[in-house]
Amino acid sequence: MGLDAVASPTGLVIGFVLGLIPLLVGWRYRQWKWGVIGWLVCLFSSFGCGLIGGLPVAVLATSLVISYAFATREDPYTSQASLDEVTFDETWQEYLLRQMAALGHGVRTSARMLARNKVGFIGFAGVMFFVLMSAFGPLFIEYEGEANFSRRQPGASSLFQPPSAEFPLGLDWQGRSVLSHIVYGGRTLILTSIQAGLIATVIAVALGSLAALLGGFVDQAISFLGNFVLTIPQFPLLLVLASLISFNSSLGLALLFAALNWPALMRAVRAQALSLRKRDYVEAAVALDLGLGHVIMREVFPNMVSYIAVNFIFSVRSAMYALVGLVVLGIVPLSEPDWGVMIFMGRQQGALFNPAAASMLLSPIIAIAVFQLSLVLFARSLEEIFNPRLRSGV
Amino acid sequence: MSTVPAQSPTTPVPMAVIKPWHTRLRERLFGYAIRVILQGLITVWAVTTFTFFLIRLMPGNPVDIKIDQLMQQGIPYEIARNQAMGLFAFNPDEPLPVQYLAYLGNLLRFDLGNSITNPGVRVIDQIAAFLPWTLFSVGSGLLISFALGVTLGTAMAYWRGSVFDNVLTAIASILYGIPDYIIALLLLIVGGVQLRLFQIGELRGAVDPGIAPGLTLEYIGSVLKHALLPVSTYVLASVGGWILTMKSSTIATLGEDYIAVAKARGLPERRILTAYVARNAMLPLVTRLAISIGFVVGGSVIVEELFQYPGLGRSLLRAINSRDYTTMQGIFLVISISVVVSNMLADLMMGWLDPRIRLGKGHRD
Repeated sequence: MGLDAVASPTGLVIGFVLGLIPLLVGWRYRQWKWGVIGWLVCLFSSFGCGLIGGLPVAVLATSLVISYAFATREDPYTSQASLDEVTFDETWQEYLLRQMAALGHGVRTSARMLARNKVGFIGFAGVMFFVLMSAFGPLFIEYEGEANFSRRQPGASSLFQPPSAEFPLGLDWQGRSVLSHIVYGGRTLILTSIQAGLIATVIAVALGSLAALLGGFVDQAISFLGNFVLTIPQFPLLLVLASLISFNSSLGLALLFAALNWPALMRAVRAQALSLRKRDYVEAAVALDLGLGHVIMREVFPNMVSYIAVNFIFSVRSAMYALVGLVVLGIVPLSEPDWGVMIFMGRQQGALFNPAAASMLLSPIIAIAVFQLSLVLFARSLEEIFNPRLRSGV
Repeated sequence: MSTVPAQSPTTPVPMAVIKPWHTRLRERLFGYAIRVILQGLITVWAVTTFTFFLIRLMPGNPVDIKIDQLMQQGIPYEIARNQAMGLFAFNPDEPLPVQYLAYLGNLLRFDLGNSITNPGVRVIDQIAAFLPWTLFSVGSGLLISFALGVTLGTAMAYWRGSVFDNVLTAIASILYGIPDYIIALLLLIVGGVQLRLFQIGELRGAVDPGIAPGLTLEYIGSVLKHALLPVSTYVLASVGGWILTMKSSTIATLGEDYIAVAKARGLPERRILTAYVARNAMLPLVTRLAISIGFVVGGSVIVEELFQYPGLGRSLLRAINSRDYTTMQGIFLVISISVVVSNMLADLMMGWLDPRIRLGKGHRD
């Protein structure tokens, strides 16, 4: 239950436990204020989204606490301490702490920049609106899955109804409240898209950095594979593949989107890693024979994090595009509630020609449009924040 | 070591070693062309093979689907099976490798075979019937949005920070963020149902029924009327991306040193903007345009289905739903060829527009 991204008591328990991490870390470093805030935020997000929402938030909150703790700490690398007092061998705990502090610092700076960036803030708020609606909406609004024939208006030819005070978004072809379907229908869509985006990003980063750092045959093979996937038209291929795999879980769909989605990011990561490889510190690490894993994880990857984060959002967006497209065409087995299914059923039930049904069709359309728009605005602003060269541009 | 001639600086370089630049260019291009064409052929073959087996892995074959349809009309299984087998010249029990070799053999003779579900209709004729509509609608949408995007983007970069720029940037960002099928649905619902600007039912298909094809005013008008909705969808969905890319590309170019030099030389503003700024700023867009041309043929499956526009995308969807193997194969072949060719085109155009790449001095990854 707690794994499911919906508000639940189990989530509250998970949040309570997860929240202890930033709280204890805050206690350890005497950052009481941030520890308590982190605990509350963990509680809130786990309550809403279970483990899926709780884990990343717990990590972020902990890193924030550590970054505040380390703001005043004397850094052995930059302090005035003489060279022989400083040890350059750090244990993995120290390394972890330093990375967490860097992450927290990055989050703080980006958040500050985002708050200043109007467009980005609008995008972020839009994304959060839909996430919060899907997580907490079910607490306030009951899902209507059964047909309600008693709601037929006298003299009406169908159960469709335009918005009214009782039903803010009107009724669908079975007399069910459209609002309840909007609130409940986004969850699977958002979760599947995020899964697809995550898998695609992991594949792309792994293959891209491998190709760039190993070079030679591996590079050529991976590049050919990427070009091959790019040459096949994505959407037609998706139509074929979608009927091939049976979708009992959203994970199958997510894997499918990821399998088609990775090449563009892989190319970009490869190019980035190639240019990073020429940098002095990476060449130094290679010359010191620190091992491929070390070079990728410690030298190359941290320099691409912002870039990858932006691309992650873009691939979430394209997975969502493809998913809704497949559902609207009726290719994927339909399961309610889902925004795409609403559009599909609306077309099937003649909502297109029924003025009373406009709200039933327009609601999911606008929800999808606004969500996609918010994702794009958010990602583009993050791009601007992370890449100052663009800032003068767009 | 004394035998190495390079040791003495006075040894004249033999003239025959250095060929004139155009000879070098021709040789380079010739070798390049062979390599590129070979690569393209291999890619097309790989895609064809991949889709061939993929399509046959799909659950159900054309005969099964037909049996299903017949049984839904109340015909018992045995009779339905016999009828379906008799209808189609397709034997689902034939082993796959045999089917594949037969297909490849036919392909080498440029024979795409007959449609399975429409017996007697050649696949190539089907493609010839649907392809022009897709080329026309998606192609004109692409060209219109490209032209609009380049013009508006340059103007916005030039008057950066003005009201014109801010308003258009907002509009472009919004259009860029909204998927094409959402725009199509909004056009249908808002324009067709709410505002009653047009009759949705009348705008289905590519032309009004009963108009003889020809260069008559009536026919062309009808074609344009029917293409209006899909084309405006394509334009609206893609113009935002072109505008934003062109704007940032132009701004980047405006900051280059050679623009400052051109200004210092006292060149007229108009000439700087067209010959110096626009030409360089368009470089990345032209490659993207060439690549997008490849995806024209794949069309937009959803948009064509929503508007019931008889293009290649909609017929692909139908072929998939009825498991018409040969038609699917044919359409995938056409699509992958066009993607490969347009990628080559992008490479060539890049070389033509950017001499650094053409002469091999530039570094490309």
